Amino acid sequence: MAEDIRRGIIITVFSTAAAVGKTLVSINMAAELAKHKYKVCIIDLDLQFGDVCNFLQLTPQKTIYDAQLAMTEDFSGFAAAEYITPYEFQEINFSVLAAPVKLEESYNITAQAVLTAISQLRNAYDYIVLDTTAGFSELNLAVMDVSTIITFIGIVDFIPTIKNMKIGYDTMRGIGYEKNKIRFVLNRSNSKTLIELQDVEQLLEERFYHVLPNEFTTAVESIHKGVPLVLYPEKNNLGRSMEELVGKYTNRLQENSKGNASLSSWLKKFFK
Amino acid sequence: MQEYRVMLIEASRIMMERLSSVVRGTRDFQLVSRYKEPREALGQGGVFMPNLILLDIDVAENMQFVHEFVRVFPQAGILCLSGQWDADIASEVVKSGAKGYLIKPFTSEELIAAMDTFGKSGMGTVSEVMTFFSPKGKSGKTTLIANLALALAKRTQQNVAVIDADLQFGDMAVFFNLNPQSTVVEAVRDIKFLSPITLNSYFMPIGEHVRVLCGTKRPELAEGVDPQGLKALVNMARSLFRYILIDVPPAFNPISITAAEAADQVYLVAMMSGGFEIEHMRRALEIFKDWPDCAERVKTIFTRVEPCTQETEQRLEKELGYPIYGAVPNEYLLVSAAANNGRMAVDIKPDSPLARSVERLAIKICNNQHKVV
Repeated sequence: MAEDIRRGIIITVFSTAAAVGKTLVSINMAAELAKHKYKVCIIDLDLQFGDVCNFLQLTPQKTIYDAQLAMTEDFSGFAAAEYITPYEFQEINFSVLAAPVKLEESYNITAQAVLTAISQLRNAYDYIVLDTTAGFSELNLAVMDVSTIITFIGIVDFIPTIKNMKIGYDTMRGIGYEKNKIRFVLNRSNSKTLIELQDVEQLLEERFYHVLPNEFTTAVESIHKGVPLVLYPEKNNLGRSMEELVGKYTNRLQENSKGNASLSSWLKKFFK
Repeated sequence: MQEYRVMLIEASRIMMERLSSVVRGTRDFQLVSRYKEPREALGQGGVFMPNLILLDIDVAENMQFVHEFVRVFPQAGILCLSGQWDADIASEVVKSGAKGYLIKPFTSEELIAAMDTFGKSGMGTVSEVMTFFSPKGKSGKTTLIANLALALAKRTQQNVAVIDADLQFGDMAVFFNLNPQSTVVEAVRDIKFLSPITLNSYFMPIGEHVRVLCGTKRPELAEGVDPQGLKALVNMARSLFRYILIDVPPAFNPISITAAEAADQVYLVAMMSGGFEIEHMRRALEIFKDWPDCAERVKTIFTRVEPCTQETEQRLEKELGYPIYGAVPNEYLLVSAAANNGRMAVDIKPDSPLARSVERLAIKICNNQHKVV
């Protein structure tokens, strides 16, 4: 039956401004999905200075560099799943396809190689989460093209950041991504900034899909401990909010069943 | 208003007529004498008391006469004229005593602009190019560059340029509250046809001594900037500015690498944010350590350092395994307020710890040993 084929959902975590929390959100999304028993793989596309492994205290066994090398040497024999590094915390686990270990190794990673890895991995995983560097790079555009959802993260700190968010959003619409594919998430809200949330929404002419609170100390602690916030036994606001965010994403299952219902009633009409 | 008594030396008859008519038609400029070649000018020109000599140097031997003109007309300024820009020749004639270099044929506006630019201080022989590199975005370097440029200009009263090569999302225009007509994209695109005077017009002035070449407002245009063109632009800018500060996109890419290679000093900048900044800096430094002159040429600066004390700096230095050139404290509200209003922190609160640390950096930079270009 068509519904049995696993087609992994690809979520790109993107932003135009740097340091908005993409990596933190990415690993927490991966962890939360894993908590709900989904098979998840997170890919670190910040090739030069990626933090996914840093934030998880992981030493990668293999990286995307090794994957690309293998692809070029023997494409038919290449299996992306062999290049992942597993993360585990108290029986919750997910996979990581790490950024290259050496800086020099990052220079020649091609968008094509990354897409190949993604297309293979989506047959083995329910969710693929892509952590990116800020901006419209060739690589980012390529992965956003194949993404199911683009999680566009922004923060409200000062005018230059918001200006860039607006330009970024307009650029994305200009490129042709549909509105539904882009989900605006505001991070670090209620931090001590001089700008109001409503003002930003007005500027962007968009409502935020989700708003994450600012808990700087907790976040810093989490990344140095190597444990995603959503996996903490004690609940904190930020962790809870991340869980909610992921909850919104997995509601697609409900949407689908609604869709199936209407399909069968349409079919029924046919056979009256 | 300065009145210029111009002596023109030009071999080609047609060009001579053309240039003469421009000089005559320019307000406050008087054409007092003209000659086809330098010897005659040197011998006869004194009678007319020129204070501005326009000397064609496309005739090869004319360049040797620059010294002589300086000797015979010590009160006059000398501008060398040529059909095209050549950085090496420009440098040579300025060393010989010329004030500047002008591409011919020129318009009245260009002549006036040339005297405005070169008239006061003369074309720079010394220029220091500083590229500010950061491994990841949000390093505080844009704020640092903007405030440092102002501090340097104030301290030295020399011309300072800011080039925003952080192409996709360069924020200099916002920081300086500018609405630029031309940006780094156009300047690099046009560089083959430009000379220092015309290049200068792509920059937006901020006060008397600071000029800013802004980044593009539209991310899709960023693709078209050729790194070699940027290099040529930077080299040409050396004859206009005593200090040039370049903002580049984060991480290693053709633009950031080209700007770093073209610079006299590279400043690696990172912001202390409770993450893995020091690891990233160490990683970036590994690449720069391949440079034989790394120790003199590559410096590190940390921003948002708290507490911003000697002790913290020493601790960071130890962790980094490399000297720290400067530390800028955390004054988030001041910086935000400044950026939100298109003003500089050093202007809003000159006595703040932030402004003082920028001032210290400016002093250090002024005292740098520099090579004569």
